[in-house]
Amino acid sequence: MKHFKPKLVCFSCRFSWGYLAEDAGLSWQTRNWVPVVCSGKIDTTHILSAFKHGADGVLILGCPEGDCHYQDGNYEARKRVYLMQRILESYGIEKERLEIRLSVDPEGKQITHYVKELSDRVAKLGPVKKMIERTESGSAV
Amino acid sequence: MSGKPKVAICWLGGCGGCDEAVVDINEAILKVVEAVDLVLWPVALDFKYHHVEAMQDGEIALSIINGHVRNSDQEEVAKLLRKKSQLVLAFGACACFGGTPGMANLITKEDIFDWVYRDAPTVVNPKGNRPQPKFSSDGKELTLPEFYNQVYSLKQIIDVDYYLPGCPPPPDLIMNAVTAVLEGKLPPKGSTLTPHKALCDTCPRNKTKPSRIGIKDIKRIHEIEAEPNTCFLVQGVLCLGPATRSGCGEACININIPCRGCFGPIEGVEDSGAKFVSALAAIIDVESEEDTKRVIDGIDDPVGYLYRFTMPTSILRKKRV
Ligand code: SF4
Ligand code: SF4
Repeated sequence: MKHFKPKLVCFSCRFSWGYLAEDAGLSWQTRNWVPVVCSGKIDTTHILSAFKHGADGVLILGCPEGDCHYQDGNYEARKRVYLMQRILESYGIEKERLEIRLSVDPEGKQITHYVKELSDRVAKLGPVKKMIERTESGSAV
Repeated sequence: MSGKPKVAICWLGGCGGCDEAVVDINEAILKVVEAVDLVLWPVALDFKYHHVEAMQDGEIALSIINGHVRNSDQEEVAKLLRKKSQLVLAFGACACFGGTPGMANLITKEDIFDWVYRDAPTVVNPKGNRPQPKFSSDGKELTLPEFYNQVYSLKQIIDVDYYLPGCPPPPDLIMNAVTAVLEGKLPPKGSTLTPHKALCDTCPRNKTKPSRIGIKDIKRIHEIEAEPNTCFLVQGVLCLGPATRSGCGEACININIPCRGCFGPIEGVEDSGAKFVSALAAIIDVESEEDTKRVIDGIDDPVGYLYRFTMPTSILRKKRV
């Protein structure tokens, strides 16, 4: 689809990914940065809500394998993401729209790259399909 | 007619199980019948909707409504009862969350019509007839209710005062609810008339849970011989107890069947499926990406398990098509 700019939401762990939300150079790309204390703290409800409110893609950045500040929050997050991908698919939201990266990058050098990758992939898929809101006229009593 | 409070019991898109559950309160029903005037109960009594239409607004003290809403007829009845009633109780999983029929929100209305009027192996329909909401013949018009694009819970159609979940709700909670109404001892509007704990908190198997459960594989209940006293999750079988409201009397657990979630989300939680995903992720004991994928891809129909009773009130509500 031409000229389609996907709306992305990015949750990033502060430990490995710093305070990127405050970085002007990055924030132009993804307007919705949500820094969290640990990727394991990202509630599944937040992922669903992001899609419900119109996100076309969600990127989660956690600490590298074996290196979570809180022991295994990153593995936890990965398990949730894989479970959520299966749930999202059933709701008609392609699993490629939800991604998790476990890595370390406090200066945010790879981030533009990751965001672009997701953005390109989501651009190919097009916007997330909208839920058809109520169309019935209903009945008056 | 007496000065007794008027009560209506009605089904919308229900299976009859909820009406049956009312009968299942056994002798207690006689006491209820003595204390109230039943003014509508399509399954059991011969009152007509026009009797209700003729009533004053608010004349019915309580309407107990079961079943989901998926067509214009159900919506009309729901709105009529709302207008004529002081209190509306959403009764059963279908009325509270959409219930099992709510799973139809994963397919379209067209899919359903194609199957029922064309593709199902038992269908003989050479002219390809489909039901139409309006049909004219000899200058007369016949109408059918309009079949909606999705399943709605009761609160998505009318204002609901109280909720009593379950598929169907158990007799003790039904009696408590009716007694609370009759005695005017009701909690704040919008309350669910059940305990507010999670099922795990009242489940007799909870004590068999180690401080940290770790499962390497997820199995279905028929694939193992489930040990009758041990927590299902410990045995690697999905059980929705951690994300489901208590109050059912552990009916399924007691017959060695894991919880499927008919009491809906615990207090303050909107989406019990998402809640359960977090609980499940915490106990799947694998670390590598490969193992994580293997275990999770091995779950059959996760959405069907996690949202069996609650899809229409889940955060995403319906499949995007
Ligand atoms: S809640 Fe269960 S018993 Fe009640 S109408 Fe729905 S399917 Fe039937
Ligand atoms: S998970 Fe199921 S079996 Fe285990 S304690 Fe909770 S309700 Fe009981």
